[in-house]
Amino acid sequence: MDTAAQLPLLLGLAWLAPLASFVAILFFGPRMGPHGRNAAWVATAAIVASLVLSLFAAGAWLGAHPVQVSHHGSGDVAAADTHAGDHAVDHHPVADSVAYSGDWYTLYRGGALRLSIGWYIDALTVLMFVVVTFIATCIHVYASGYMHDELHDVTDHEVHLSGGGHLHRPGRFPRFFQALSLFCFSMLGIVIAGNLAMVFIFWELVGICSWFLIGFYYERKSASTAANKAFIVNRVGDFGMLIGLMALWGALGTLHFADSQAIDGDVARPGLFSLVRPAAGGHAIRVPDGMVKFAAAAEVAKTPPAEVAGKIEDWRSMGLGRWLLLIAGVGIFCGCVGKSAQFPLFVWLPDAMEGPTPVSALVHSATMVAAGVYLVGRFYPVLTPDVLLVIAYVGAITLFIAATIALVATDIKRVLAYSTVSQLGYMMLALGVGGWAAGLFHLVTHAFFKSLLFLCSGSVIHACHTNDMRKMGGLARVMPWTAGTMLVGCLAIIGAGVPFVIGLSGYYSKDAILAQALAFSRANPAHSILFVAVAGGAFLTAFYMFRLWFMTFAGEPRDHHVAEHAHESPAVMVAPLVVLAVLAVVAGWTLPGGFGLPNLLEQARPVGTAEGMTGGFAFGELVFPAEHLSHEGAVHVTATLTAFATAAAGVALAALMYLLRIISPAVVATIFKPAYTFLAGRWYFDELYHAMFVVPALAVANLASGTDRGVIDRIIDGLAWTARQLAGVDAWIDRTLVDGLVNATAAATWNAGIELKKLQTGHLRQYVMFIVVGTVALFVLASLLFRTSLAG
Amino acid sequence: MDPAASLTQPALWPLTAIVFLPALVAAVLSLPIVPRGRDEFIRWTTLLTTAVVFVLSVWMAWPQLFGAAGPAQFRLGEPGMQAVVKLPWIEAFGIEYLLGVDGISLPLVVLTTFLSMLAAAASWPITKHVKAYHVLFLLLETGMLGVFVSLDFFLFYVFWEVMLLPMYFLIGIWGGPRREYAAIKFFLYTLLGSVLMLLAILMLYFTSDLRQLSPEQLLASHVVSPALDAGVQADAVRSIKDARAPVHTFNLLALAQIGQLPDSPFAAARVWGMSLEKWAFLLLLVGFVIKVPVVPVHTWLPDAHVEAPTPISMILAGILLKLGGYGILRICYPVCPGAGLDFAWLVCGLGVVSMVYGAFAALAQKDFKRMVAYSSVSHMGYVMLGLGVWSAVAGQEYRWDAWAQGVNGAMFQMLAHGISSAGMFFMVGVLYDRVHHRNLEEFGGIFNRMPVYSGLAIAVFFAGLGLPGLCGFIGEVLVTLSSWNYSRVLAVASAFTVILTAAYILWAIQRVYLGAEYKGPHGDHLTPITPRELSIAAPLVFLAILFGVAPQILFNYVTPTVNRQVETLADWTKRVHDAPAAAPAVAKVGADSAAR
Amino acid sequence: MSGLGMYGSAFPSPVPILAMAGGDGVSVAHYLVVGAILFTAGIVCMAVKRNALGVLMGIELVLNGANVNFVAFASPYLRGQGAVALGIDGQVIALFVILLAAAEAAVALAITLNFYNNHATVDVDRADNLKG
Repeated sequence: MDTAAQLPLLLGLAWLAPLASFVAILFFGPRMGPHGRNAAWVATAAIVASLVLSLFAAGAWLGAHPVQVSHHGSGDVAAADTHAGDHAVDHHPVADSVAYSGDWYTLYRGGALRLSIGWYIDALTVLMFVVVTFIATCIHVYASGYMHDELHDVTDHEVHLSGGGHLHRPGRFPRFFQALSLFCFSMLGIVIAGNLAMVFIFWELVGICSWFLIGFYYERKSASTAANKAFIVNRVGDFGMLIGLMALWGALGTLHFADSQAIDGDVARPGLFSLVRPAAGGHAIRVPDGMVKFAAAAEVAKTPPAEVAGKIEDWRSMGLGRWLLLIAGVGIFCGCVGKSAQFPLFVWLPDAMEGPTPVSALVHSATMVAAGVYLVGRFYPVLTPDVLLVIAYVGAITLFIAATIALVATDIKRVLAYSTVSQLGYMMLALGVGGWAAGLFHLVTHAFFKSLLFLCSGSVIHACHTNDMRKMGGLARVMPWTAGTMLVGCLAIIGAGVPFVIGLSGYYSKDAILAQALAFSRANPAHSILFVAVAGGAFLTAFYMFRLWFMTFAGEPRDHHVAEHAHESPAVMVAPLVVLAVLAVVAGWTLPGGFGLPNLLEQARPVGTAEGMTGGFAFGELVFPAEHLSHEGAVHVTATLTAFATAAAGVALAALMYLLRIISPAVVATIFKPAYTFLAGRWYFDELYHAMFVVPALAVANLASGTDRGVIDRIIDGLAWTARQLAGVDAWIDRTLVDGLVNATAAATWNAGIELKKLQTGHLRQYVMFIVVGTVALFVLASLLFRTSLAG
Repeated sequence: MDPAASLTQPALWPLTAIVFLPALVAAVLSLPIVPRGRDEFIRWTTLLTTAVVFVLSVWMAWPQLFGAAGPAQFRLGEPGMQAVVKLPWIEAFGIEYLLGVDGISLPLVVLTTFLSMLAAAASWPITKHVKAYHVLFLLLETGMLGVFVSLDFFLFYVFWEVMLLPMYFLIGIWGGPRREYAAIKFFLYTLLGSVLMLLAILMLYFTSDLRQLSPEQLLASHVVSPALDAGVQADAVRSIKDARAPVHTFNLLALAQIGQLPDSPFAAARVWGMSLEKWAFLLLLVGFVIKVPVVPVHTWLPDAHVEAPTPISMILAGILLKLGGYGILRICYPVCPGAGLDFAWLVCGLGVVSMVYGAFAALAQKDFKRMVAYSSVSHMGYVMLGLGVWSAVAGQEYRWDAWAQGVNGAMFQMLAHGISSAGMFFMVGVLYDRVHHRNLEEFGGIFNRMPVYSGLAIAVFFAGLGLPGLCGFIGEVLVTLSSWNYSRVLAVASAFTVILTAAYILWAIQRVYLGAEYKGPHGDHLTPITPRELSIAAPLVFLAILFGVAPQILFNYVTPTVNRQVETLADWTKRVHDAPAAAPAVAKVGADSAAR
Repeated sequence: MSGLGMYGSAFPSPVPILAMAGGDGVSVAHYLVVGAILFTAGIVCMAVKRNALGVLMGIELVLNGANVNFVAFASPYLRGQGAVALGIDGQVIALFVILLAAAEAAVALAITLNFYNNHATVDVDRADNLKG
């Protein structure tokens, strides 16, 4: 079987294994051993199977496409062959991106339009599969220890019942793993997706899985609210994403990334990538014909059908359709803003800490938040320079805001949460300044060390039964493994290393981002603030991460009650920490011979981006320097030194304040009280959004509901009332006029009878007289009458 | 038409049996031989009848399940009318007993029989006047099925009215505290629609002229039955063509053919300065949108739903609302294409307004059932939007696939909403049967008390939320994606609705199912779901998942017919509407028919 | 009366009837005069008598006055100028009248007797039970 047929099979099975586990636990979970204990094994077995299959896939990939030192700048940007299904041709290694794509399943087909479930597999897909399944495996193992409370009845001390006391409930061990499995399935669905519709489907599924997991302790109001918040804020992003999808779908009629081959009687069609970056134009970005025609609809209507094709170039040169491409890009990015917790939609992520810690680790490292960055990376060929600039600025704002909030947070998980937001800002910024490989590289390394950090924090919480760092301190003595691995994680996230020699994984990825940001700033002096943000962010990161570590593990215990109960976590929890710590160290290394993440990623580099690009119309002309240039010469040196200096400064300051306690944090907080309050209030984004969106939305809702009752129903009821009044008038007319006439006739007849009966005296002789007189009178009358008539 | 020849049509009995079996049983049940006290017997008889009708409809729709396909069964992939029954009824006015199904009506027929069966099972808690209730219930089923299969406009109208009366009594007698108000409101709203519809029917009838149709069209529209011998056919065609006076018709297929003629008499005739086509379209539209319902004629729906008993709410939301969408799709657009194109903005606009308004109103509700009712308003807005997105115009080179996608999406949304809304109302009913209130603020913690029920309920609500993998998603996403090519503003507004939908559904789930403890009265009555309730809820959830995962099961039926209709109308746009050369000819014919 | 009117229509005016009575010999007019006298006497008798039997007698007089006329008109020998003779019909009518008078007298006498039994009087002025 050749690679083109192997990969979809392997990865498809890897994708479906967690689904099988979900279904199995859904139906048989409670019957899996006592309290469903074995559900953990089922879920873990499924994800391990996924991992193994992914590794096989990676092996197959590397067998077919060995990683070599890439020949950047060799001008070898020949036509990228994006193969489809079994339609594979020979693939050129290196420099060209190789991708396999095809469809498993059609959801809807009408005319030329087709929505389907399919795959798009390139080096990035394979890499993400390995990373996601690997981290998920660690987290599954860890969670089977962490969640053991759920194996028996639980008393939830955070839920106060109205009758006093706390909630007692049965444990829900299987349900946790059930949701975890579905979550992994959804995430892998995004990674393997061959088209944007499928991305959107699994995008939503990831959202709802996060709803289940964040709201796992659904008895707690805060948890269910956080779950709702996460989903609804994500939907706000999806709103934008839908607009992007519509812009693409409406104008281009396809959402497939790659060209699709002829199946099911459907003809072969170009995919989004080759529509936007046609091979004929050297893979440079060009507004696709469909968008041009769409924007020129008024012109098209006036043009005879035969001449339309000939005029497209004219319309394109007039700039028609470029806004549509911009909207499409920004729209898709909106979805990523929601999922990856970027400004302004990052507010859900810190609240998502309401979920159990393994969930936080999974959500905040390799899945969910990674999905947004991954999609930007995947969708990169379609993003125009203007969109990239938007992405860069959103990333810069996010990384700065989140880092400042993390400075003052006291909840250990919240510090990590804001650190996640900030690091995601880094990735977005990197992608936005043209550092495609740098951004995704950081995504991978960050996945390792952030899951490590979260699992460490979980271990701490498990031991201390509190999230508050102010009650911790000195834990390194009782929890050496946790402290050690967490130190590794902190060093990795700040990018520690010996400059130009060796470093932890974060050292490489962060350096790449700084270098690219610097190169971009030099090429576009107007946007040099981006580099400042990156450098400043590095300083802040170093400070708050070591603040966290010092407060938790160093010094003397602050709360003896907590310290006495603290203990090292069981082996099942420590083992994943060690494994992840090792990876946090080595993930960024490139082996001799060129085998390493950066070069692997280069295999998937979007066509046409290797040599950078220029363009843009909405924000002026932008220059995106080629990424490989930033690894060379002066830029690289400056960037590395900046990174080292800022990180060192941050660690030093943290040490001064929290380890050596030369500067008192309390005094600093007092001196900068307004700033401190502002940051501790998390920039008041929650309050702002509540006032700006929630309150007006509820007001509009009440208005709508009130309109129904107060206006529409009033009108309807009023019409009914009017009809009844009219009926009343009608009834009155009947009663008085019509009935009156009839009754009057009857009364007159009656009265006449009463009067006439007086003639009826009963006296015989009178009657005789009447007869006589009457007869005589009649006779006289008749004779007169006849005479007249005869005479006349 | 020779009745004997029509009787030989092999397709006579399945449709007739499906439509009239419930009415027949209702008639028998209403006889005094069925003693009033035997409630269980009546309930089982009703359930059995609805089940038999359901099996019959499945037999038609899915012949493979029963072995080889007979001539009366549905042939998948054929866009035209199938299993046509044609008998003369009131010959003086050319009114016929003309039934048939195609890809649009058959899924709705199966949905109706399916939901009727579930609703019959859900009627067990009804204890008041059991006999009368079930008689009316069966009559209602006949009415609904009749509307979906009628191809004669007059017959359509008769069934439409037949459906109305039982519904009035079912709400007005077996409803909640404000049942009389709700029933009257429902009745008056719907009656207003019916009256306007009747007006339009008569307008179209008296303007129609079969002589304008070609022999092929007469055959295709079953004016002359294709089942007849060739010689008889030719005679029948000749007798129509040679008629001295216009030959009017109630045949819906023929009316559609006439309406799409280049010299359509509907477009030519003018009433008060507007073409008759537009009048008819608007009158029919009002009649149908009241049923859908759209804002601002939707206020009967929340009241009717809140007051109606659970099974009737299921029927009301699951089927009755679909009649409006079906009417627009089957009658408004094909018969009055010109008006359809001119008023597409109205249809789409009403749809989007309903979506947004309904979602906002749902957000504000305190009554669980009322919230679900408003969600129906919002979801049916998608149907309107999908039906209306007439994007096959000159500027888009008459590409019809975006519009076809909208209509297919609308059809799917109707079917999916039939499943999910019936499910939602049933889920509310299960709770109401136990605690006798529906105040959203006084629930909570149901998940811990009734886990199986809550799991199913959350699944059904997620289907309403439009979650992928459940039936609500496909229709919504197809409609939303298709709307962009018609109008960017409406598309953005419809995309915006996804946020509101998530908000009101998740908020309701949080208040009802999540949380630590139940806050309302009768907490001790929260017993786990019974087997009977489970047997109603489980099929709904199963179908919600099935149609979400494998939408092509439905699309296989729907798409051929919808695509052909949309393609025909797109072609009509190009050929008739936008053809400048044809304009004088149309004007001339208009003058002629006006003179007539 | 109407019969007379019908007759009268054959004459130029009712006045010449009296004039004809003064003509040669016995003519219809003479009989008519006698009938009229009888009739008038009967009427007066009915009007003035308070005794029920007296009233009955008056009725007999009226009927017989009419009978005289009928018989006179029936006679072929008393033909006036251009007058239409009733012939045998006149006598048959007279016989009917006599028959009727007999029956009427019988009924009337029965009523009177009954009335007398109840009221001990035959004064018709006292018999106003049929007053309206």
